[in-house]
Amino acid sequence: MNNASSSGRGGRSWPSTTSVSGSGKRIQKEMGELHLFPPADCSAGPIGDNLHHWIATIIGPPGTPYEGGIFFLDIRFPGDYPFKPPKVVFKTRIYHCNVDSSGTVNLDVLKDGWSPALTISKVLLAIRSIFLSPDPYNPQAPGIAHLYLVDKTKHDEIAAEWTLRFAR
Amino acid sequence: MFRSNNIVARIFERQIRTPRPATSVHFARQFYENLVPSYTIYDVECPDHSFRKFTDDGLYLISFSRNHQELIVYRPSWLSFSCKGQDCDNHYLSVGAKRFESFFTELYCMSLASSNELICKDFFLYMERNQVGLFATSTAQIHDAPATGGAVKGVPSIEMITFHLIRLEDGVILDEKVFHNDFINLAHNTGVFLYDDLLAIVSLRYQTIHILQIRDHGNLVDVRAIGAFCREDDELFLNSNSQFMVASDRNNQHESPVNHVENTMHDNLVIPDNSFLTGIKQRLLSFIFQGIWNEEKDQSLKIQCLKKKFYIHFQDYADLMIWKVQFLDRHHLLIKFGSVDGVLSRNADHHPAFFAIYSMEAAEFVAFYQNYAEELYFLFEQFEDHFHAPSKSSLNVNFISSHSNNIHTREQLRCIKNKSSSFSQFVKKALGSLPFPCQSRSPSPYFDQSLFRFDEKLISATDRHRQSTDHPIKFILRRQPKILKFKIKPGPERGSGIGGAKKISSFLFHPILPLAISVQQTSFLQQSVVNIHFRR
Repeated sequence: MNNASSSGRGGRSWPSTTSVSGSGKRIQKEMGELHLFPPADCSAGPIGDNLHHWIATIIGPPGTPYEGGIFFLDIRFPGDYPFKPPKVVFKTRIYHCNVDSSGTVNLDVLKDGWSPALTISKVLLAIRSIFLSPDPYNPQAPGIAHLYLVDKTKHDEIAAEWTLRFAR
Repeated sequence: MFRSNNIVARIFERQIRTPRPATSVHFARQFYENLVPSYTIYDVECPDHSFRKFTDDGLYLISFSRNHQELIVYRPSWLSFSCKGQDCDNHYLSVGAKRFESFFTELYCMSLASSNELICKDFFLYMERNQVGLFATSTAQIHDAPATGGAVKGVPSIEMITFHLIRLEDGVILDEKVFHNDFINLAHNTGVFLYDDLLAIVSLRYQTIHILQIRDHGNLVDVRAIGAFCREDDELFLNSNSQFMVASDRNNQHESPVNHVENTMHDNLVIPDNSFLTGIKQRLLSFIFQGIWNEEKDQSLKIQCLKKKFYIHFQDYADLMIWKVQFLDRHHLLIKFGSVDGVLSRNADHHPAFFAIYSMEAAEFVAFYQNYAEELYFLFEQFEDHFHAPSKSSLNVNFISSHSNNIHTREQLRCIKNKSSSFSQFVKKALGSLPFPCQSRSPSPYFDQSLFRFDEKLISATDRHRQSTDHPIKFILRRQPKILKFKIKPGPERGSGIGGAKKISSFLFHPILPLAISVQQTSFLQQSVVNIHFRR
């Protein structure tokens, strides 16, 4: 466990030396920024020595049905980052209308709304904001979105139960 | 105070003296110093079985046929014989009395394994309260089994492992539990732990801890499976709520969770590269995360600390495998985690490993240690008995020497500790024995370190095969006058005839009587030599 590179993920995802100087440098810069000004309840860092594969953790914000949960997210930066958005997937099960059954987050920011000016800190903040206010009009899980609109109390109950069972 | 070692003097003393409060049991056990298995019948004529062990209450002797198909259960009985003449004590035992049958009565012989199965002769667990035994049979091991249906790569597969719950009194099979295409480490009971009426079975291939209960009526009942999910109804909950999850992508297979409960088919699940963490891994990672998160107060330092201690190792933590499990009490499990490489290797010491304590009721981890954590070692040194988790019903099991209940054992440990060059290496080695295998130590009073001293390299309470020596094994009184009390000589009286060949000995001590069996084997093909040691 002391030497994470021994697990063989070493430099596999480093596409070429040029991209290291491009996306890699940019990711390193964002890491510095994240460490200086971390968004509330969020943290993130690269797995092993692979700068393009990160894990982020979001603590369920108080006052939401996700309170008390520890949500892990898998973040993969493409080789042409920041021109393409990172891919963010939940590693922890969550009951949320903007997250599909395989954990993929549906956020405009991570799709068409992506801009190279955005950073990982902003992405984390955007994901944290859907914990506080889900967007049922742009759902990834229509069933949950429907329940959210029709019976929010029931929705929150179920979401809290999911948090208790799968996100502790 | 004057203490005689003469047994008659001791009996007198017992009449007139009351031992100090709560010491009467220890006082009574001192009589074992006078009653020792010092007489040996070498090479007893006996059925060619492989003798497994005496049950901890001493009521049964368990043995298996050489072809590993049948279970033969004996009742140990005390030798009785008559002799003509006056000074019987000086007579040699008659030939008739020297037979195996004089000591053991066969209760029954039953076929346990079907044609393509074999009895796992290293596996046997006994539940004293109900006098039921748990046996295992299995088909051959497939080493290069494909890792299908959520199985872990690199773990061999066994087509069928069957656990048989048998009432030892009459050999009635009460219940059976089958695991298909799974791998459970059965050697020395490693993969199965019995605590009171609860069983923990570790499926290495599917990384699931199956908790079962042995009911009074003799049924094996699934209580919960810890692995993909933590609580017994998590899976049901997930399925009943997935109606709301009318997924946008219907072809998404991996949402359908695998049914581990009824160990039937495991291959209906395809785990893709990017899947959710299993229930137990989520709990483990979140416990590690919170430990670091709460440790550091400053926000910026907190993030850096997490990066260095947590994220960098995230995949390694996520890839950790459950190696071994034991109960600490009815609600807490001690789980050893490690990498897949070390799971079946003999020298697991080289592989990184962790200990975690998991509360089943709360479905959360309460502690997490590295395998060289001094904190855990100090707990282990002072409270070893708590790691042995004795079942409530058996009394004599409480007298098994450990360094938390026996000053001599503790002294031995101190001695090794002081001699070791590196403390962290010593801690690693000491903790290497955790979690303890279930029922692996003999409660025989002759292994009680407060009564006898013996060479632990040659013999010990732990049930293991040992390379045998030609020298007799000496049992020396622990207290004054520290004299040699008896010897156990595993070899035949006069040279074995086969010089130089490696011989393996195993010893089965009766938990109460001064009676022991030693078995010596040269090769697997040859019939073994069985000696009976007892007090004449």
